[in-house]
Amino acid sequence: MTFLGLSAAALGATFAVAGGATVALYILKLRRRPIAVPFSPIWQRVLRDKDASQLFSRLKNLLSLLLQLVLLGLIVFALGDPRPAAGAAEGRSIVVLVDTSASMQSIDVTPTRLDVAKQKVHELVSGLGIADRMLVAKMDASTVPLSTMTSEPVELGDALGKIVATDTRADFASGLAFALDVLRGAKRPEIIVVSDGDLDAETAAKGLDLAGTPVRLVPVGKGGKNVAITAFSVRRYPLDVSRYEVLLEVTNTTDVPAEVELSLLGDGNVVDVSRLSLKANERLPRVYADLGGASKMLEARIRLADGTRDTLPADDRAYALMPERRRARVQVVSRGNTYLDAALLLDEYLDVTTTRPDAYREDAPFDVTIFDAVAKPLPSKGGSLFLAPPADGSPVKVGKAVTDFGFDTWDRKSPLLRFMAVDNVQASRGNVFVPDKADHIVGASELGPILVSGSREGHPFVALGFDPRDSDLVLRVAWPLFVLNVIHSFVEDDASYLSAYRTGTPWHVPAPSDASVAWVRYPNGESHEVPIKEGRAVLFGEHAGFYELHVGAESAPPSFFAANLSDDAESHVTPKTELHLPGAKSSPDEGFHAGIRRELWVYFVMAAIALSAFEWFAYHRRVTV
Amino acid sequence: MGMFDSLRQLRREPAARVPSVRPGTPLFDDDFQRKLETLAIVSRRVFAGRMRAERRSKKKGSGVEFADHRDYAPGDDFRFVDWNVYQRFGKLLVRLYEEEEDLQISFIVDCSASMGFGTGKKFDQARRLAAALAYVGLANLDRVAAYGVSDELVAEMPPTRGRARIFKVFRFLTDLTPGGVTNLADAIGVVAARQKRRGLVVLFSDLYDPNGFERGINVLRYNKLEPYVVHVTDTADARPALRGDVHLYDVETGDEREVTVTDALLARMETAYAEYLADVERFCVKNQVPYFNADVSVPFDELVLRVFRRGGFLR
Repeated sequence: MTFLGLSAAALGATFAVAGGATVALYILKLRRRPIAVPFSPIWQRVLRDKDASQLFSRLKNLLSLLLQLVLLGLIVFALGDPRPAAGAAEGRSIVVLVDTSASMQSIDVTPTRLDVAKQKVHELVSGLGIADRMLVAKMDASTVPLSTMTSEPVELGDALGKIVATDTRADFASGLAFALDVLRGAKRPEIIVVSDGDLDAETAAKGLDLAGTPVRLVPVGKGGKNVAITAFSVRRYPLDVSRYEVLLEVTNTTDVPAEVELSLLGDGNVVDVSRLSLKANERLPRVYADLGGASKMLEARIRLADGTRDTLPADDRAYALMPERRRARVQVVSRGNTYLDAALLLDEYLDVTTTRPDAYREDAPFDVTIFDAVAKPLPSKGGSLFLAPPADGSPVKVGKAVTDFGFDTWDRKSPLLRFMAVDNVQASRGNVFVPDKADHIVGASELGPILVSGSREGHPFVALGFDPRDSDLVLRVAWPLFVLNVIHSFVEDDASYLSAYRTGTPWHVPAPSDASVAWVRYPNGESHEVPIKEGRAVLFGEHAGFYELHVGAESAPPSFFAANLSDDAESHVTPKTELHLPGAKSSPDEGFHAGIRRELWVYFVMAAIALSAFEWFAYHRRVTV
Repeated sequence: MGMFDSLRQLRREPAARVPSVRPGTPLFDDDFQRKLETLAIVSRRVFAGRMRAERRSKKKGSGVEFADHRDYAPGDDFRFVDWNVYQRFGKLLVRLYEEEEDLQISFIVDCSASMGFGTGKKFDQARRLAAALAYVGLANLDRVAAYGVSDELVAEMPPTRGRARIFKVFRFLTDLTPGGVTNLADAIGVVAARQKRRGLVVLFSDLYDPNGFERGINVLRYNKLEPYVVHVTDTADARPALRGDVHLYDVETGDEREVTVTDALLARMETAYAEYLADVERFCVKNQVPYFNADVSVPFDELVLRVFRRGGFLR
């Protein structure tokens, strides 16, 4: 027997002091209530027989004292937290990975798979051996320990209480690596995974040494019909930003056909309702083209046509946010350029200001400044487009003059050339550039770079090596597209825009501001502070829905962004009952028997309570007094 | 003296623990007094009285109802010589007539601490009964005296007569307070010594006399007084509301006793109390002393108007 609480000496001292106090109090307790009677001779007549049992009464009083001392002894012993010596020798070290991925929100078991998983972990905790220790961690896109490696059921129970499901995929590889790290060097290590089993175990086990660590799966769930929205995004048409199109993909993840009703909502109002028939395991993409309206927040919902609920409601909704369109302030520093003016007229969201070169001011508040055959110092704000810049004042060094050239190579992925075909553009004259190392050559002729982007002291620029009027570019559709692409690249209305982020990944949400922090209000109403790095708020999102972003201050006007689960694997809700981990030991599957408590002090306290109840009963029945 | 002995001393407060009786308790209302006017005291014996009243007296004298003859003695009034007898038998006999006399009734109220025990119901009951009987006696032109006793004579109201004196009786009874030890023999001995005339003596007591209730009653008997015992009882004495470990002490003597009160003990106490009452009644019956049990639980009106009448005390 060992004491994990107070030491034996401390227990002895405690018992001595408390026992002495008990005896003293008992003696004081023997002071009986003085009661007056009108005529004691009658009582004496009655009590003559009582004297015969005086010795028995004293014995009963002694029994009462002994009872109290036993009570005290039980409580003091419980304070010592006694443990059987044999059991303390060597216990198991167990890491329980509770799958909290989106699929654990499935309702094929009541109430959800996650709740059943928690109950199963409770049973494991109840059945821990005397010297066993356990750590509970949640496992979704990241693995987070929720308790220490402990044998305290209360702490483990508290850890279970913190577990909530997320709209993310379970990263079993990181969970397994975490568990192995925790158990490194531990005697009798064991990993228990409480999950619906769709974990891609073989991939996760690559590179991990599982030889000495048994891994056991506690399966949860029984499966059922499920249809999911696996893709949902929206974009505005580049040349008509008042209209947009929506891409949506619905997937039937089960082996039976399904009829679903698909609803598209804009700002909470139904935009379109359609009925889809999906074959077994079919992925059905659907495009809503040429949609109009002022809706910003788009939401897609599906439900089974027969009115029943599918197994995983979490993937029945998807969210997308329309790209924000704000008016860009454009300054044109030019002596006059009809082609440029015409190109700028195509976008109604541009506020164009034409400035003569001698009236140019660097600190003018424009988002984009276009220098038409003019080289001036870069503006203090916004980006700059240089068209045939003179050698003197150009942000990029102007090289030799060239004639009769075109784009021989170009960056096809560059947003500057989006939707454009520049392969047969011909220029009669111009100059090639000699870019810096950090500059990006977007397009070049065989004679040298003719389209360069870069940045000088934090001010972005794009430079074209020839005057468009000296080429056939201005006669092509590519010309206004080029101008608008450049402008959009400076005002962030570019291809990097995401109508919805994917849960379970780090998000870098544009937050154009000098502030270093922002506040994000989550779909569940919680608000958290997040850092801003390089103009983007960085956070790790775990839940689908619409988010609010307040840059600089919590009370600042919000911008919005959306997030979706959109994970085909999580939507496959058929549970697995086995883990195939190469190299892992077989499941021990023993040693957890609910109801076997390790803490003996509980029994001592229970005995004390029982004795106290008996004493209370006996006292009121005048047995021991 | 140890610490615990000191603690034990703290609990001995017998005098302070005796519940006080409400002072100035109204004894009768007008309605009850009107009822009592119809009652009269019946005496089974005829005693000599100083004044003519409604009772027959042993005294032969100037009454109108013939009683007996006796031999003539020198000095007798010739008017009472029975000449008819002298003519027939030649003997001088004097005619004796019964004389109407008043009766002296003495009320002895036990004022010991036990009478005021608890809520003082026994003491109140005794005083009300005494006042009621005194009223009846005064209404029938009898002489009424009252005494308060414990182990001594603590209060005395000299004999008086006339209905108007009832308020004096009320005042006397109202001023009585319970306290002290019971010693009926000594206290009644004093009362008996002050009785210049024989008559009725009504004792109102719970008869909680450590020296024995018999001694007090016998004092009355031996002094040729006609005792009536009104035994004032309270069932709460028989089954007190006690539980558990208690330290009992006698409210009068202070005798102490530690006891654990259980249901069984309370049952035995009830039995012992009943035996005590039976002993008292048995003694009274044996010695031809009228006995009345006046339990406080019996409504006062019923006790006076019904029980006393049934017992022959009232007519």
